[in-house]
Amino acid sequence: MTNANDVLSSIQSAFPGAVLDSKVESERRLWATIDSKKILDVCKHLTSKLNFDHYSGAAGVDWIARKEMEVVEIMASHGAHQVVAMLKVKTSRENPSVKSLTGLYWNANWYEREIWEMLGINFEGHPELYPLLLSDELVGVWPWRKDYKGYPDLTTGERAVQITTPEGYTEYHIPPTPAEVEAGTVVVERPKYPSFREREEREIKSDAEMIMHLGPQHAMVPGPFLLDVLVEGERVRKAFLDVGYIHKGIEKIMENRTWLQGITYTDRMCYVASLSNNECYCGAVEKILGLEVPLRAQYIRVILEELSRIQSHLIGTGEFLTLIAGVGYAPWQYMIIDREQIISLIESVTGARLTHTFVRFGGVRNDLPEGFADKCRKVLPYMKSRTEEFIELFEQDPIYHKRMDGVGIIRPDDAKRMGVSGPPLRATGVAYDMRKEDPILVYPELDFKVTTGTKGDSADRIDVRLREMLESIHIIEQCLDKIPEGPIKTDVKVPKKVPVGEAYYRVEDPRGEMGMYVISDGGDKPYRVKVRGPFYATFQTLTPLLEGVYIADAVAIAGSMDGCPSEADR
Amino acid sequence: MLKRKMIKNFSWPLKTATREIEITRLYPEVMMELPDAERGIHELDATICIGCGTCARVCPNSCIEMVHFKFGSPLKNKKMQFPQIDYGRCMFCGLCVDDCPVECLKMGKKVTMAGWEREDIVKRPDFLATKRFTANEVADLEAEAKRIAAEKAAAKKAAAGKEGASKKPAKEGAAAPKKKEAAPAAAKPKEGGAA
Ligand code: SF4
Ligand code: SF4
Repeated sequence: MTNANDVLSSIQSAFPGAVLDSKVESERRLWATIDSKKILDVCKHLTSKLNFDHYSGAAGVDWIARKEMEVVEIMASHGAHQVVAMLKVKTSRENPSVKSLTGLYWNANWYEREIWEMLGINFEGHPELYPLLLSDELVGVWPWRKDYKGYPDLTTGERAVQITTPEGYTEYHIPPTPAEVEAGTVVVERPKYPSFREREEREIKSDAEMIMHLGPQHAMVPGPFLLDVLVEGERVRKAFLDVGYIHKGIEKIMENRTWLQGITYTDRMCYVASLSNNECYCGAVEKILGLEVPLRAQYIRVILEELSRIQSHLIGTGEFLTLIAGVGYAPWQYMIIDREQIISLIESVTGARLTHTFVRFGGVRNDLPEGFADKCRKVLPYMKSRTEEFIELFEQDPIYHKRMDGVGIIRPDDAKRMGVSGPPLRATGVAYDMRKEDPILVYPELDFKVTTGTKGDSADRIDVRLREMLESIHIIEQCLDKIPEGPIKTDVKVPKKVPVGEAYYRVEDPRGEMGMYVISDGGDKPYRVKVRGPFYATFQTLTPLLEGVYIADAVAIAGSMDGCPSEADR
Repeated sequence: MLKRKMIKNFSWPLKTATREIEITRLYPEVMMELPDAERGIHELDATICIGCGTCARVCPNSCIEMVHFKFGSPLKNKKMQFPQIDYGRCMFCGLCVDDCPVECLKMGKKVTMAGWEREDIVKRPDFLATKRFTANEVADLEAEAKRIAAEKAAAKKAAAGKEGASKKPAKEGAAAPKKKEAAPAAAKPKEGGAA
């Protein structure tokens, strides 16, 4: 099987001189700085020759001391091998510009837009370089640059000036003070681009078409996002997605918090999956620190993460059912009641219901309480029988199948191309699971299958989730049998300052592949944290997926993705 | 066939509904049972808190402020300060609890703290301290502190007289009664909580 060394030598022999700097961290991680002129060719080579068919994301880093900026392209493969190549492209800080990969990878679109609006790195050849997360008034000051001082305080109403728009609406505008302009915290010159509304209206071709707003507040997904559909009769002709309504700037906040305090912020990215977010961040930092996690702590982490997966899938499935209006027999409330038992189990260990802040560098916060295993062994069989019941109910229900079969089909090739991960990808039949692909903790020692579907439609995605719960139950049962006695934290003292280094760590979130790219410059705070969230990637596929479907199906498709805009916006 | 399947799906909720499962919680009449690990409102043992401020430094939301509190141990330092927590900002992460060097800050099972005004949920040590000295004990301790200070001063004088070589024994002498005094005081705590 290909390992990182092979990949490196293959690039070096195909493009002599293209690799400026490289580091083989392990068999599965390759770090390489690529000549910015050759990056497109190198990526093409990786994809066509070395099976790197999974463009996993990109991160921008501002190296202010070195007067340069970096774009890190994260490349992986869908099961052909397990190498993750982190390809860095450097550009000057004065006029940052790199080549866009949107021509090669469809899903590079959003990642590059985000880097552009946050760091001001231009992407040559990007078809639609519009802001993604920020609102229009905030674009142009590049908030993620290191010399950025923060937006002015716009919370006060005293400075607001009332203006009347040509259409007759009243708007309020807060003019910047000269001091703010001098400090560089307000946008003086905004980049020119058509606004979201103009982009939508451009697409209206005839009188028979109109734009329908779904959102930003709607029951489809727990979290605000705007989905505008251009409809012609009952059919969606084109969909537009506007995200960023709950952009919290978590990545930037974490740069201003100590390493330990950062854990609390990972919770808030997606509170339904907060344990795997904790795990991802702590895992990355442990990698930089070179910490070994004691065996018992590893088992505790696995048990809790799997419990958390069960509760996440329960709420995801339940919500989906309320969306497709199966009120007569929707097991939503039953799923919530069952979920309560799982939550209580987790709470008895972590002390919190959703935002756990439980994983620590080199261990966990608390040990399992007394009688936890017995309680688990009581709840799990019940959960199992219930889940089997749910699966049976779904399988035999003719109405459900009439409604759901063939709705929102993603083909495996498309799913891979679009960078989808988690249950939506596995429903298409691609067995891609981080627990097998990039195994962490004690997962290699546990026996479990990767559940896959066949058709890739909405019904399949739900089915995969439900069957995945059975696998999780199986994993927890094994863990309870195997868990050894021992310490729950390393005896090595975790330093306040993390040595210089960088790491990319992936875990299987309930929603798919969650990766965190953490850089340390030797200080007591992270230099940069990039979160590659699973729903971000799935979210992006919504627009093409919704083209040509019925309006009613739009809800069913978006709901079956089990979305969390909070995590996509971060 | 089709009908039978559908009927089964409709009958399932009925079947489940007749099973005895707790659905409605009788909160606030009956509080649900909380686990021991629960991270609720903080409990401060003011008799051992050393006022180091570690909790205030580690808090990610800076909700801890160190303030004066007269029922803490005045033996160590008269100006000693104790944590005051702004629950408007606290997210119950528990980092402050983990980092307390003498383990005097804990999180309990109390979780209700509604107030009418924003200031109501900024809880002073009076509220947080579940263990503290009574007024009498504080007076005793203060007298004790004075005595120790006087002793120290005397020892210092004596030491200065003896060319400053015997600083050490004076210190040890001051430390010994301190410990003795703290132990019985901690044994009979006053139930606290009146905010
Ligand atoms: S509660 Fe603990 S950490 Fe906080 S000041 Fe007191 S001793 Fe220090
Ligand atoms: S629990 Fe967390 S947020 Fe609350 S006071 Fe302690 S450290 Fe601060």
